[in-house]
Amino acid sequence: MDTRKPLPIQRDWVAKSLAGTLLGFGLALCISGLFVRLNPGMALPVKGQLAMWMLPPIWLGTLAGSYFFSSGLRAWLWLGGANLLLAAVLAAISASSGA
Amino acid sequence: MLRADFIRIYKAVHTWTGILTGMALFIAFYAGALTVFKEPLARWVAPPALDRPAVPLSAAQPLIVETLRTHPAAARDFTLHLRDAEHLPARMEWQIRPPGGDDHDESGVRHYAASLDAQGAAQVTETHPSRVAAFIDTLHRVVGLPVDNDPNRWVMGLVAALYTLALVSGVIVLLPSLVKDFFALRIGRNLKRMWLDAHNAVGIISLPFHLVMALTAVAFAYHDGFYSVQDALIHGGKWSSAFERQRPTPGAAPARDPAAMLPPLELVARVQALSPGFEPVLLQYQQVTGPRPMVRVWGKDAAAVSPRARGGFAAIDPYSGKLLGSDFLPGLQSTPNLVISSFFALHMAAFGGTLVQWMYFLLGLAGAWLFYSGNLLWIETRRRKAPRQGGELPAQRRDARLLAAGTVGVCLGCVGGISLTLVGGKWLHDHVEDLNAWHWGLYYAAFFASIAWAFRRGAGKAAVELLWAAAALTAAIPVTTLLGWSLPSLGLWAHTSVATLSVDATALAGALALAWMARATSRRVREGAADSVWSAGGG
Repeated sequence: MDTRKPLPIQRDWVAKSLAGTLLGFGLALCISGLFVRLNPGMALPVKGQLAMWMLPPIWLGTLAGSYFFSSGLRAWLWLGGANLLLAAVLAAISASSGA
Repeated sequence: MLRADFIRIYKAVHTWTGILTGMALFIAFYAGALTVFKEPLARWVAPPALDRPAVPLSAAQPLIVETLRTHPAAARDFTLHLRDAEHLPARMEWQIRPPGGDDHDESGVRHYAASLDAQGAAQVTETHPSRVAAFIDTLHRVVGLPVDNDPNRWVMGLVAALYTLALVSGVIVLLPSLVKDFFALRIGRNLKRMWLDAHNAVGIISLPFHLVMALTAVAFAYHDGFYSVQDALIHGGKWSSAFERQRPTPGAAPARDPAAMLPPLELVARVQALSPGFEPVLLQYQQVTGPRPMVRVWGKDAAAVSPRARGGFAAIDPYSGKLLGSDFLPGLQSTPNLVISSFFALHMAAFGGTLVQWMYFLLGLAGAWLFYSGNLLWIETRRRKAPRQGGELPAQRRDARLLAAGTVGVCLGCVGGISLTLVGGKWLHDHVEDLNAWHWGLYYAAFFASIAWAFRRGAGKAAVELLWAAAALTAAIPVTTLLGWSLPSLGLWAHTSVATLSVDATALAGALALAWMARATSRRVREGAADSVWSAGGG
């Protein structure tokens, strides 16, 4: 049984806000990129608009959630890792489809 | 289970995002609620039309041909109205935009209206319509700033992003006690508890509406930037080049003869055959003498989602009657297009007809109240109470006094200013050179005077006086109509359509509500706790 008291949550306002704002936007871009790559059959005007409309909820949802990280460092590591992972997947899909 | 730590963190997020944006959002929501009824407002303020009786629809074809012969500049983009309404000066209308202006900036636009005289010749007049409804829309689009341009939209986008944070954090703070507190409106001696319960109840009930507003507003503010980033990183430049190709070639020599176009009623019939529930209201002709002529048949379908606030359209070729596109035709859109349209429709109440419009109007006013009450709660939390055993009243915190005065001045200044500028549209018609400059001037004069008054008098006294002023200015809307009807010598006028009389009735109800608030606030200032920024002596 884990009897340790949970660590106090660090406020880290600047670090968490920046992580949420910058990396949240990166995350939103990656996910919208995946949407575009995974729907090659959809017409560009429609696909592009849907991809644009995805950005605000993903971006601001991530920013709003980023204060749940126990420290600013963890926010940067987790969100940064998620960005790298998704960017790698996106690059792999783009390379394999020759886009 | 949410740890208390997180609740404290998100409470801080909610407090600061709320305080930073509350007043701007009040303006956006009050003006936005009125923008739902932009057309009735435009009809209310419009002077009696020049072209009455209007050219019948059956004679619309000669009207178009004659007008384009004498005024070829109109061929770029003109409108043919299928119905008659107070704000439509004539059957045919067009606008000339100043080159290089912002798409959303209406201030430099010149308006022309055309009808036929008895000999069948085109009669073209430059009109100077009151843009008061568009001005109220602009206030709502850019949170009270005067012009809808890029920098102001960026400010609005920042406000909308902070507002999203305020919404999410507010819900997180409320979650642990949601079951216990929801619908619990503890009316009683603890005024702060009652206001907090009301703030929470309104916030939770209208949460979907607010999330839609916040997220769509962020997209409206930043879509240009979003598209160009995605074009560079995802679309590989194909997005912008796709739109370059579609742009019509300007200045092409007249290639087609407008007399060969199908008559308007024939074009309307083609669209109605596609979608029987669709009710066309106007035809927008574009580039009819150029190589790519097009007519957009605009209208609404109460049973479907409209892609824009003014409805949706079918694009047809005016010469062949061939359908060029139904991507924007309500009820006939493909699923992905319908999804995109729903983002616009959900923001602009462009679905479900009049009932939904009234719902949005009430939700918008409730939203304005939400931000007002948020500021009040901030102030109340920082209140310095008098010692129980009596003694000297403590001075209230300076920041609480200033925020109270600012909230009262900004919010009531917006309410009073909008009523004043609407009324001014009728009283100043034909008496001033540039009516639209006056609309601006009247609004901002009332707005800033109200803020100055609030800081000078203190929040408590100013709230009562500004509420009475706002009630009087709002009552002036139906009074103006009444005077126009009963005393024609004043040069005013009174429209009697349901839409414009509804404006008068709503303003009357609003004036009564403001008067009731003024009386209640006056009682609070006189009889409420003296250790408060709202007390007559306190402030």
